[in-house]
Amino acid sequence: MPTWRRFRQIFGPEPRSDVDAELSFHLEMRVRELMARGETEERARELAAQRFGDYEASRRECVVIDERLERSMAQAAYLREIRQDAAYALRTLARAPAFTAVALLTLALGIGANSAIFSVVNGVLFRGLPYRDADRLYRVQMLYPDGTAYTALSAPDFMSVRQDARVFDQVEAYSTGIFTLLGSGEPKEVRGATVSDGLFTMLGLPLAVGRGFAREEHQPGRGAVTVLDYGFWLREFGGDRSAVGRTVKVGGTPYTIVGVLGPGARLSSEADMYAPLEYREPFNASTATARRSEYLAVIGHAKPGIGLTDVVNDLQRVGRELQTTFPNTNGRLTFTSISLMELIVGDVRRPLLMLLGAVGFVLLVACVNVANLLLARASARQQELALRTALGASRARVLRQLLTEAVVLGLAGAAAGLAVAYWATRMLVAAEPADLPLLNQVGLDRTVIVYTVAITLATSIAFGLLPALQATGARVADGLREGVRGGAGIRGHRIRAMLVIAETALAVVLLTGAGLLIRSFAAMMHVDPGFRTEHAMAFRVTLQGESYQRAEQIRSRVDELQQRLRTLPGVTAVAATTVLPMSGLAAIIDFAVEGAPPPPPNVNQEIAVASVTPGYFTAVGTPLKRGRAIDDRDTAEAPRAAVLNEAAVRRWFPDRDPIGRRVLMSGNAYVVVGIVGDILQRDPGEPVAPQLFASYAQRTSRSPRIVVRTQSDPIALAPTIRTTVRALDPNLAIPEFTPLDQLVATAVARPRFYMSLLTLFAAVALALAATGIFGVMSYGVAQRSREISIRIALGALARDVVWMIVGRAALLAGTGLAIGIAAALALGRVIRGQLFGVGLVDPVTLVAVAVALGAGSALASFLPAWRATRVDPLIALKAE
Amino acid sequence: MGTTSTSSTPDILRGTLDLLILKSLSWGPAHGYAVAHWIELATSDALAVGEGSLYPALHRLEEREWIAAAWGTSENNRQAKFYTLTRRGRARLRVEEQNWRRYAAAVFAALDAPGRA
Repeated sequence: MPTWRRFRQIFGPEPRSDVDAELSFHLEMRVRELMARGETEERARELAAQRFGDYEASRRECVVIDERLERSMAQAAYLREIRQDAAYALRTLARAPAFTAVALLTLALGIGANSAIFSVVNGVLFRGLPYRDADRLYRVQMLYPDGTAYTALSAPDFMSVRQDARVFDQVEAYSTGIFTLLGSGEPKEVRGATVSDGLFTMLGLPLAVGRGFAREEHQPGRGAVTVLDYGFWLREFGGDRSAVGRTVKVGGTPYTIVGVLGPGARLSSEADMYAPLEYREPFNASTATARRSEYLAVIGHAKPGIGLTDVVNDLQRVGRELQTTFPNTNGRLTFTSISLMELIVGDVRRPLLMLLGAVGFVLLVACVNVANLLLARASARQQELALRTALGASRARVLRQLLTEAVVLGLAGAAAGLAVAYWATRMLVAAEPADLPLLNQVGLDRTVIVYTVAITLATSIAFGLLPALQATGARVADGLREGVRGGAGIRGHRIRAMLVIAETALAVVLLTGAGLLIRSFAAMMHVDPGFRTEHAMAFRVTLQGESYQRAEQIRSRVDELQQRLRTLPGVTAVAATTVLPMSGLAAIIDFAVEGAPPPPPNVNQEIAVASVTPGYFTAVGTPLKRGRAIDDRDTAEAPRAAVLNEAAVRRWFPDRDPIGRRVLMSGNAYVVVGIVGDILQRDPGEPVAPQLFASYAQRTSRSPRIVVRTQSDPIALAPTIRTTVRALDPNLAIPEFTPLDQLVATAVARPRFYMSLLTLFAAVALALAATGIFGVMSYGVAQRSREISIRIALGALARDVVWMIVGRAALLAGTGLAIGIAAALALGRVIRGQLFGVGLVDPVTLVAVAVALGAGSALASFLPAWRATRVDPLIALKAE
Repeated sequence: MGTTSTSSTPDILRGTLDLLILKSLSWGPAHGYAVAHWIELATSDALAVGEGSLYPALHRLEEREWIAAAWGTSENNRQAKFYTLTRRGRARLRVEEQNWRRYAAAVFAALDAPGRA
């Protein structure tokens, strides 16, 4: 640094007087020279001024330049100081590698976990749906008498909404199904969607290749064209543009490929191939037929300025009009709506935000721990700081330097944290946790990085400020006198104890939450699913095409398949069904007991229906409660037979024997022949709905699921079964197998995911809190070694000393426990929606939390306590 | 000395003043008056260096970090602002000097050139 700059800094910049001094010196010299040549002083001054020219203009210009110069120099000096502080911080951190490593690891985990969870929350909840005008899209739903909503509409109801709803400027629909694709390699099952004429345009889904559907292709018999999903096009056709124009067989019908959707363009339910929805007879707003055959997902695009309430009100108006026009089919029903975003992410919003909050707590605990470490170090650095202050550094200056250190530490932690987050996010997305929606939008984008930097700066200041204030607050003279052994003393120790209590309380909140979710999950797993999961698996066969035009062709092929499977070694039972356990309700159909009065207006008149082949209940392991099961008597020609589940008996026959009664389903009469136990239809947290099992022979479907029960591991039979299917008909898609226990795992995947993450966070928080207790106890023992050694010298037993230390740790932990449990109860509503079979105040959870914390704090204080007993009185006393 | 009439002396070219200041400082630190004095002597007072424009020029050079300023004591024991050529300033001087010589040589060559054929 040049000398003049230092000079300037001491006297401070004063451009005005500096310029005046400089210019008057010049004039004076000139006057002196002129006088030396014999001019009078008066004349000399006149001449000098004349020669100088415009003094004022010159002075003004110099002042402007100098002021500009001052400003830029002040800025440069400020930046230089920050650079110096940062460099100093780096050197200081490098000199304490153990401290730095522990602090960095803590921060990297804390920040990384936060960024990872935030990236999921950001992708799923904040980025919105990948559709044009996504916030104006609403899903139309049926509203049942008991207040429940059903997400599908019938074709005529869709046409009525399309024609009569005033809140929408466009209403579109689609329907999904499974089809067998022939023509590109092996026969395989594909997910198909048939879409109404304006769906792609309304959602703003772009085409990568080719064209979409023309209006006339929605006319019956003219819709043999298909548009491929982008990913499917890459997988099946290698991204070959000449795939467009080719013909493939889907479900036995030839379709011409006319286009490929853009990458990432998809409906909320994924599909591989799209075809035009054919507007057959029921696509008519004035028809009464097929109004109760719901299979269309209907989406409306609201006019500008229309909100959810307007949409719901208008749809209910349309629904009421249909009630009067079509009392037989729509008498008890109307419409409601939910925003498309809400439908897709509604049930994951709360748990995801809860996880974000929980991981925020982990970061807080990490912060407290780093603050604690910094406090301990600040005590050790007391002398250095006192020296700096004595040498003239202001408190603000030292404070700034300590905060710079904290920010440098924080930023290093964030860099490591982003690496952790990158890895963790990829793992999270790859695991496709619990079928979370919109996972393809999850990644470390700009929002996530901004968030990470923001939380890093906030946490750096949070963990840096307290120790910095503490360190600079101590009086200089004390610091110098106490020397290396000194420190922030009692006050610092008290602050550290309070920090430990705080982090313990935070850990207790997480432990309580995790405990409740674990208990809920255990309760779910204890619910009897109503079927036996072990040694059984299921697969789907889809029978489409020329050989399966008539129902008896399908039936005989399914019979044949079952017979062949029964002959395989190790197979104990084979049966077919249209709906597997825990896979939803599938068909819901109008139901009535013959001769019974109509049910009260707030009761649904529908029942879930499945068709099963003889032996199904044995194959899945569901007990027959009364009467008989569906058996070989229930052929296509026999009177229609029905088996009810217990939930159906509870609702429809509360005080009568149902066996032998006739019931009506969509107007067809069935005779109730038996009652079976309830089989879970969704996850264990949902009540079982009334369900009717019909005979597959009397109610045939093209796409039955075959259940195979075996003596040992069923998957071992998979290759044999594939060969069997192949031998039966080479045009059948190669089946995928689902072990029945997988059905349970899938159904509880979300609760399991939330529970696992929260438990992980709680464990990390507990470990951090225990580390904090360990740190404070170790420091306390070091500080009190003199007292301890005197006690030992006076004859105290090692046991007493250990109890003293452990007791103090227990006091800290106990206080944290009490505060934490109070906080956990206050925060209960955040988690209430996720609980099953357990209350917010759960004694088992609370005891478990207390035990975990007690064990943690005992473990954390044992080592310091043991060390205390090894204190040699002589050494400890001499050290003073 | 006396009054200088603007009609009889060429107006100093912008940039030339900077060059002369840098040159005057190349022999060591000097205050503004000394710089002005040296330019008078060296150019036989032929260039009308307006002293009014000398000081803004000095401050501008300081801002560009071609010269540095520091308060010191003058030969008659007064506080004066002394200017020193910085390393960057010295490099600049070399460039400017070469430019000027090339420029002057070109103009001379043109003036000495034979008339049009």
